[in-house]
Amino acid sequence: MNKEQTIEELKNIVKPYIQNQEAFDGLTEDTDFINDLKINSANLVDVILDIEEKYDIVIDNEAMERMVNVKAAMEIIENKLSEKNS
Amino acid sequence: MIGNDIVDLALARKESNWQRNRFLDKIFTKNEQQMILNDANPEIMVWNLWSRKEAAYKIYNRETGIRGFFPLQLECFYENGTLGTVSIRGKTYFTQSKIENDSIYTIAVVEKEYFKKIKSINPAVKILKKNGIPFTIDCNSKIEKPVSITNHGRFWEGITLLD
Repeated sequence: MNKEQTIEELKNIVKPYIQNQEAFDGLTEDTDFINDLKINSANLVDVILDIEEKYDIVIDNEAMERMVNVKAAMEIIENKLSEKNS
Repeated sequence: MIGNDIVDLALARKESNWQRNRFLDKIFTKNEQQMILNDANPEIMVWNLWSRKEAAYKIYNRETGIRGFFPLQLECFYENGTLGTVSIRGKTYFTQSKIENDSIYTIAVVEKEYFKKIKSINPAVKILKKNGIPFTIDCNSKIEKPVSITNHGRFWEGITLLD
């Protein structure tokens, strides 16, 4: 899976929870879920659960801890997918 | 050091489904989940504990500079609906929560005595941020004063510590 595709999929996942459309439209790897997209921290749990369901992976507590921006989310998805397929 | 957090219960009902599969597992310890499920009003308990964790996280973030999403590590000790503590990695913060007007509001402090020194700030005052951490500047003395602000749905609360 390539980066652009993952970013697009991630955008679809976070879309229902964002509260800053402008930051969402200009989303990059550096976009922060809470500071930029203004996702409510309780909804960050939903983002994490949605990612788990979409990719059929388990995001452990250690990974969840880092899950504050797009870049971290992409790395976590990639890692967990490769663990799953190895 | 202080932290605060407010939950608009009407908005929380709309935004979040706490009964969603595995939702509680991600943010509440086994003990906390027991408390929630045994409570006469589990929904209120969910947001009461959540606002305590969020308020305590604000202090922890400020004290350590550590930023992240680790709600399970912020463990609530629930004394009663109003009082309790939240512990994380060897630190313990005191919390005071208030349930009223369809909201739950928690203030967290490092020392119990600070509860008496909490002062609300005027919503009109200019809030500045350093590394995401809010402060105000006193217009006379020009001294920076740490503040904690929280906003959810219909509610806004800002606090500082009196000298």
